[in-house]
Order: sequence, then C-alpha cells, then structure tokens
Amino acid sequence: MSDTRSNFASLSPLSRRSFLQRAALAGLIVTPAGGLLAACAGSSTDNNGATGAASPDNPFGVADNSKVDVIVFNGGLGDEYAKFDQTLFTGKHGKVTVNLSSTQKIKTEQQPRFSTTPADLINNSGADSMALDALINDGALTDLGPLLDAPSWDNKDVKVRDTLLPGTVDDGTFSGKFYVLNYAYTVFGIWYNKALFDKNGWTAPNTFDEFFTLAPKIKAAGVAPFAFAGKYPYYMRWAIMSWIWKSGGRQAVVDIDNLKAGAWKTPEVMAALGATEKLIKDGHALTGSATLSHTESQQAWLDGKAAFLPVGTWLENEMKATIPADFKMTISNFWGVASGDKAANAVFAGSGEGWIVPKKAANAAGGMEFLRGMLSKEGAAKFASLTHSLTSTKGSGDNVTDSTALTSANSLMKAAGELVSFKFPDWYGDLDKGSQNAIGELMAGRMTAAKFADTMQVAADKVAADSSIKKQTRA
Amino acid sequence: MSTVKIEKDVPAADAGAGPVSRPSRRLGNPTTDSVFSGFSHLFLLVWGAMVVFPLLWVVLSSFKDDAQILKEPLSLIPDSLHWGNFSRAWGEGHIGAFFFNTVIIVGGGVFLTMLLGSMAAYVLARYDFPGNRVIYYLFLAGLTLPVYLAAVPLFVGTSKLGQQFPLLGTNSYVMLILVYVGWSLSFTIFFMHSFFKTLPQTVAEAAMVDGASHTTLFFRVMLPMAKPGLISIGIFNVLGQWNQWYLPVLLMQPAGGEAKKQVIAQGLIELSVNQGYKSDWSGLFAGVTMAMLPVLIVYLVFQRQVQAGLTGGITK
Amino acid sequence: MQHGKARFIAGFLALPLALYVWYVVWPFAQSIGYSFTDWGGYSDEQHFIGFANYARLFKDELIGLAFWHNVFFLITVPLITIALALFFAFLLNVGGRGNRAGIRGVWGSGVYKIIFFFPQVLSLVLIAIMWQAIYRGDDQGLLNGLLIKVGLVDQSNPVGFVADPTPFLGVPAVLWWILFIAIWGGVGFYLVLFSAAMQSIPKDIYEAALLDGANRVNSFTRVTLPLLRDTVSIAWVYLGFIALDMYALVFVMTPSQGGPNHASEIFASVINFTAFNSSRSGRYGYACAMGVALGIFTMILAAVQLRITRRERLEF
Repeated sequence: MSDTRSNFASLSPLSRRSFLQRAALAGLIVTPAGGLLAACAGSSTDNNGATGAASPDNPFGVADNSKVDVIVFNGGLGDEYAKFDQTLFTGKHGKVTVNLSSTQKIKTEQQPRFSTTPADLINNSGADSMALDALINDGALTDLGPLLDAPSWDNKDVKVRDTLLPGTVDDGTFSGKFYVLNYAYTVFGIWYNKALFDKNGWTAPNTFDEFFTLAPKIKAAGVAPFAFAGKYPYYMRWAIMSWIWKSGGRQAVVDIDNLKAGAWKTPEVMAALGATEKLIKDGHALTGSATLSHTESQQAWLDGKAAFLPVGTWLENEMKATIPADFKMTISNFWGVASGDKAANAVFAGSGEGWIVPKKAANAAGGMEFLRGMLSKEGAAKFASLTHSLTSTKGSGDNVTDSTALTSANSLMKAAGELVSFKFPDWYGDLDKGSQNAIGELMAGRMTAAKFADTMQVAADKVAADSSIKKQTRA
Repeated sequence: MSTVKIEKDVPAADAGAGPVSRPSRRLGNPTTDSVFSGFSHLFLLVWGAMVVFPLLWVVLSSFKDDAQILKEPLSLIPDSLHWGNFSRAWGEGHIGAFFFNTVIIVGGGVFLTMLLGSMAAYVLARYDFPGNRVIYYLFLAGLTLPVYLAAVPLFVGTSKLGQQFPLLGTNSYVMLILVYVGWSLSFTIFFMHSFFKTLPQTVAEAAMVDGASHTTLFFRVMLPMAKPGLISIGIFNVLGQWNQWYLPVLLMQPAGGEAKKQVIAQGLIELSVNQGYKSDWSGLFAGVTMAMLPVLIVYLVFQRQVQAGLTGGITK
Repeated sequence: MQHGKARFIAGFLALPLALYVWYVVWPFAQSIGYSFTDWGGYSDEQHFIGFANYARLFKDELIGLAFWHNVFFLITVPLITIALALFFAFLLNVGGRGNRAGIRGVWGSGVYKIIFFFPQVLSLVLIAIMWQAIYRGDDQGLLNGLLIKVGLVDQSNPVGFVADPTPFLGVPAVLWWILFIAIWGGVGFYLVLFSAAMQSIPKDIYEAALLDGANRVNSFTRVTLPLLRDTVSIAWVYLGFIALDMYALVFVMTPSQGGPNHASEIFASVINFTAFNSSRSGRYGYACAMGVALGIFTMILAAVQLRITRRERLEF
C-alpha cells in the first residue's frame, strides 16, 4: 500500500489509498482460495476512556452515554455509507452518541490534534492522509487485534477475522500488530479494449515477449502500445513491483521490503526492470505519457490512442462519463517477465482504504465497535450497493451487475496464484518518495534500469543504516 | 514562450525602439511614432492575451460537459451550454454557503486588521517609549515565519481555549477573524508604520494645541490623513484573506457534530480534489468560475480605487 | 500629559499585541521549542536533544539543494518581475504617439492596466487548475497544442514543462517554468505600481529632457528610472518575501511536490515532507529546526536588503 504522502494543499490527485477506497470495482466475486494470512494480533490494547461491561453484543465494552467521534474521508466513495453505518451502530447502542464528520483533508485536520485530542476512528485516506509509518513508529495507533478476535456483528460464533477477505489482515499488520483496517478491495492489472483487439485480430499478451511481438502491429495501426500516468509515478510502481514479484517470486519483494543488501540488484529484479526499460527505450509508450495525470492518460486510452494501460479496478467508475459505447474494458494480469518467472500467476489485488483508531482516542472501544458494525453483512452490502465497490469482508458484492471490467477482473482473480503485495513505501516515507522519483526518471527515459537499481539500492541502504528509522520486517 | 525569451524581450524591445524613436515634442515624426506605438501594442497584446486567454478558457469550459472537457480540452466553444454545472457546484459544491462565510470572515478580518494594525503602527511610528523597537521588530519578525510550522501549537491552543470560550474555539467565525487579524498584523504594521512616519508633525502639534486628546488626534486627524495608505493595505488584506485557505482548513473543524463553516478557497480545493474522485470536471470549472467572477467584477468596478489606492499608498 | 500618553500607548497596543502574541508568536515560540526535541508529531513523547537537529541540517543534502533553488528564485523573481513591469510601464506611459503635448501612453493603456492586474485577484487553486492545463505535457496541452500547430514543437516530442528536470543555464527547467507563473502573476501588480509612480513624476521634467534632445529610451533611463528608485526598492523587498515562499506554486504544480526527482525542491517543500512524512523518528522536531533556520535566513536577508537600499526602515 502506498501513499502519495502529499501535503496540505492537496490539489494533487490521489494516492493509491484514495483510489483504493474509491475502488470502483462494481462488485467482484473473490476467490475463496487460500487460508487467511492470520497475523498474530497483539494481546492487549491501550484503550483509553471509560468502558462499560463487555458482552458478545458489546465485545469492547462501549460505555453507555459515551460519544464516538468518527471522521470519514469524503472522496470517491462518498460518506453516505458511513451515515448508514452510523444508524446501524446506534440501532444496537442507542445510548451512545456518534459524531460523524466528513472531510477530504485528513492530515491537515487530524495531525495537529493527534497528540492531544484525536477523533476515535479515522478514515485515513486521500491525498492528504497521514503517513502510516510515522503514526505507527510514534506509537500513536491502537492495536486493532481485539477487533479481529471479537465475535462478528452478525454471528457471535464467528470471529471478525474469519469474515475478512485474504490479505486484509496482512495488509493492516505492521511489526506483528494489526493497526489498520482496510475496508475496500481492489484488483490491479493491465487494461485493454477487447473490442479494438477483436477488430484487429490481436491477442492480449501474457508476457513481455508477447507484448514486444505484438507492439509493432499495434503501432502500425496508428496506436501507441502503452499509456501510463507518469505524473504520479506510484501508478507505475504497482506495475513494476508486480513484475518484480513475478520474476523473482515473493522472496524478491520481501527482500526489498526488508531492506536486504543487494535486493534491488538480483538478476530477477534486473530482468523485470530491464523489461520496463525496454518498453520505454523501444518507444512503445504514448507520447507525453511521462507527464500525464491519471485521468489524462486514461482518457487517451479511452480515445483509442493507446492499447494498454496499467491501473486498478476503480477505472470504470472513474471514467464512466466518457467511456465510448462500444468499448469493452478488460483487465489482464500484469505481463510475465521471462520464461523463468518464479510466480507467473501472481495477481496484484488487495485491500485499501484504511481506518485507524488513535491510541489517545477518548473512546477507542467505541471506534472499534463502529468498525465492527461496518464489517457486518448489512454494512458491507450497503457499501457495495452505494459505491459499487467491494469491502474487504467476504461476499459484499454478491449481487454483481454486468460489466466487462468486472467479469475480466473476476476471471483474473479466479486464476490467481498468490497475491502480490509490497510494503516499503508504507513503511518508509523516504523510500516512498525516493522510489517515485526514480520511477519517474525511469519512465521518462532519463534513467537506465541499471541506474535505477543503483539508486533504489542506495536509498534502501541509507534507510537500513539510519538508526533513527524504526525498521519493519515481513516474512 | 520561455522565460528566457522574456528576459530577452527587454533588450530586444529597446533595440527595436531605440534607433527609430527620436520624437520631439514639436516636430514629432509620425512614422517612427507609429512604429514605436506598434511595437508597444504588440508586446502589450501578447502579454494581455497570456492573461486573458486562460481565464476565458476556464469560463468557457465551465459550460462544457465532462466528455467535452476531457476529449477536447483545447476547444473554446462549448457544444451546448450546460447550465447544470453551475447548479451542481452551487448546490452540491455549497459555493453559495461558502461565499457567505467568506464574506463575513473577510469583512470582519479586514476591518479589524486595519483598525488594530493602524493603531499599533501609529503608536509605534510616532511615540517614543521604552520597548518601542522591540515591539516593532517583533511584529516584523512575523513576516518571516512559515505558517505551517505554527500549525500544531496553534490548533492545540485554539481548541483548548474553545473549551472555555466556544467563540474563540475551532469552527467559529470570531476565532478565524481574530486569527486572520493576528497573521495580517505584521504586514499591515510594516506598511502603515512608514506611512504614519511621513505625516507632518505640524498638523499633530496644532491639533494638540487645540486640546485634542491622543485618541481624538488619531481618529479625527491622523487616520483620515492616512486614507490612501489605508486603502492600499486594505486591498492587500482583502486579497490575502480572501484567498487564504490553510488557516481555515486547519481551524474550522467542528469539535462536536455541528456543520463545518468553510470558506470559498476551501470549497474550491474540495471541488478540485473531488474532481479526481468523482470526475466532475465540469462542476469544478463551474465552481471556479463562480468563485472567480465576483472577485473580477468587484475588481473591475473598483479598479480605479484599487489603482489609486496603490498609488497613494506607495508612491506618496 | 505624560501619564495620559502612557495610557494611550498601552491602550492602542494592548489588543493588537495580545492577538499577535497569542496567534503568532506563542505558537511559533512553541515550534522553536520543538526544534530542540525529537518529537515525531503524532504522539506526546518528546525528549530534549539540544542542538542535534541543527547539526543535522548542515549535513542534509536535500536542504542544501533546496537552499540553492530558493536563492535562484530570490534572484530571478524580483529581477525579472521588476524588469518586465518597468518595461510595460514604460510602454504604457511613453509608448504612444508623440503629439504637441509631448509623449504619452499608448492608446488603451487603462485597459491593459486592468487586464494585467487580473492574476493578482485569482486564488491559487484557480491558478493551479489553469496552469496545469496550460503546461500539460502532450498535444492536448494549451501551450503544447499551440506550439505544435505553429510547428515550433514536434508532436512526438512535446515540451515536458514542470515534469522536465533537464538543466537550462544550470537550473532545472521545471524551476524556470514555475518562475514563469510567478512572473505572470506578479507583473500586473508592479506594472500598476510603477505606472502610478511614473505618472506622479511632473511633466515638465520630461519636457525639459525632451527639449535637450533626449529620446524616449534615454529619457526613461536617465529621468524616469532614477526617480522610481524608491518604488523599485520597495517592490524588491516585497518580491523578496514572495520569492522565499514559492511553496504554493511548487506544491500545486510539480510532480511529487518538489519533483521530478527533487528538481524543484525548496525549503518549504523539504520542511513539509520532513515534518509529516519522513521515516525518521523525531521528524517534526527536525522540521521545526529547518523552519527556524529559514526564519533566521529570511531575517538576515531582509536586514541586508534594507541596508543595501540604505534605509533603516522603509518610507513611502
């Protein structure tokens, strides 16, 4: 998960998190495959404030007559769903007051009060969100472990943990503690217009080799093979990290996240970076892509100026005003890098749209209870119907509407091997910015793959050697 | 196009104008004059177009629909007039309510800034007392401080005070007005200080001889004399406070459940952030146009006063 | 009398000073306090670490880079804005045809003055939206579209504008493009200012110069400029402050707020990243130290500037 970590003015568009929460996936039946990556939850919390008696119906002991301050990010998903969750909550706890307020400037508003009087539950999202590593390293968040082990809203015999989709617990776990509940679920990949491909008799490639073979034909048809949102390099970071995972397998990305010496310079990583470099060097990118914003590049793709575009499943919702009628929006997996790929079937999908409970929250129990309500069947279904996005609970999008984007995302998920995830941008703000800068240069053709690997390795080594930076690890 | 070229413009223009222009007040060579005048117009027109064209583009884009904005960003002519953009920005974007809030806050803020600022500047400029320089430089130091560094203490202090006095707490008109005043004082005092310095001592002495008190002297004699300066600094303050967005975003947060009182600059940011989330480009352009036109109209109506004010204040 | 004077002084200063201390000085003083701690900004844990943050400043490469970018703006913004504003003011006031009454301004100079001033009344949000469209890096951009049509730019290789870190005259292109927006916004204001100052120069001085055979250009350089010296030096000080706070433009216009690849990093962008997003513990305290350093730097600069213009304080 990564953030643009942009600052207060926030005219800059969106971070991945905000995209995730806006995740416009109009419902997606997720593969049940794989057990939950149950990260061990911490045993105790530092809940402040008065607590009432705990019961299966009130597992955190929210006190009667207390009040819960909830801050919702009013982005692409709106705040309607949170209002519904509020009625759900007060339906169960009539004597507890919920103050729900919505904003788009999470960091500007919440950071100054974080150390003294924070809200009880914050939807830390959008371009102006707070850096997770900063919050966690400062010990400013409540461990949400108890929420995972609490009985679920709908069935007290099932733990909340067991109602969540794969990856949700893992995505929210830092140094072994579950600090962030990501509420929305997104699939990433490379999009193409199936109508255009059928018309020209093209087949969507599965590997870079196939792509490089197809590209001249695409060019001959007057279409640029590849467009991307160069203005926001974290878009390409999703692609590049997926390619690295495919090429080098899970371990390659884990080593990068763990700041292992030389992790950026292994032959597998270099193969993925080399393919990326070739994509640019051979002139397959749409002219000006390196400077385009997400919407600009997406519109160019919709206009038929480019064949492929890497982005997440919110794409359809984001561009719905301008999708041509005969367009068949289709997502395919990120291409394989070479025949020796260690994880060719890995799919990049995961949860986003983080909710956090500050450690200093006056009513942390209330905050967690509100989250428990959001994760209920009713809350999740309402979210899906209001936002056309999935929640990270199972089955929220069971009433799926028809859409080629959705169907293709579905089949992509069904064929999925493992789920790609990378952590370093969330763990280390400096590497987030550093990697975006380097990817910007790589994609603009101003930096070679070798130089890129050097740059990233130097940046990672610098973080690793800096004793003032708290380190995270994953296995 | 590039800055470099602009740098070159200056000598280029001189070179062009130099040899040909040798006008004399009596003889007046019409040919060289026309050439010179032509050159002048050329440069002025180019720069004027650079200012007007983007504004025009924003206004006209606010009548387009999303599809046209995204597909033909360069076109100036909307395929049809989509007035719905405006009602959407006014309603869902709450531009109307934001306008109201902004007018109250900027009105109060500028009035108090001018009053308190000129009072302080006057005393500092014309009275000798121990600590005068210290206080003056303390105010000046404010010009050098980046506001976002004071954000955390400012917010904490305000919300704590608000627990005792809600009017001085977060999300209150009064509080924001006072904050604006506090942050505008430095420049206002800096400006008015020099202004009061130059007012003739004789007038003050005459008034004092007539038995006027210090206060009467200030309000009846000195302040009216300083009117040109007041207008100038008033313009600075109106523009500055109207466009202020960081302080309101930081401080206009409701402590409880009440509605947030937002100002127009915040509203525009919200629209522009929203545009990324909801693809309401046309709504954004409409909102921007609605926020811009009143300011432009006010400026057009008062441009004489604005220009005269700047003149009076600065070139006195 | 003395007693009354003291009460008057205290009465006039009390309220402004109280507001200023509470809303500006005290929050900033607290920030100075934080600069000696390792506070991270999110928890309430902080320890006194003496001058360690300040020592770190000198080893910080990014701060070094930002420093030079600030210096770039500090030189170019005032220089070019003033030069251009003077040039336009010159055209407006003496660019017209000469007649029996002497040289006069071009026809329509009032209209130009109004239009050139427009950017001054626009909010930053609006300027950002406009310039993002103007600087768009493909053939859909306002400027690129125009340049491609005219044939100055190859369609397959459009100008990158704010996404372009390639050095031009040793300075990344992105900084030049940001500079251009700043000048675009500022020229109108100073044009009006200088123009007013020029008009206040008595006509007979020109007449005398013309009788001596001076042409427009040398009457401008020999007569007008020296008389404008005071106004120009005031403008220089204002623009100096503006140049130190280019953050708004850098923030809204450049990729990753200071990019691409740190090419447009300035003090303020480094401070803001450090304060809230850096991985290091103690980030907020360190950012405060940067802010204090910036404040001190600004103060020294202001003092030097005032010294150079040989004024102990500004008088208008």
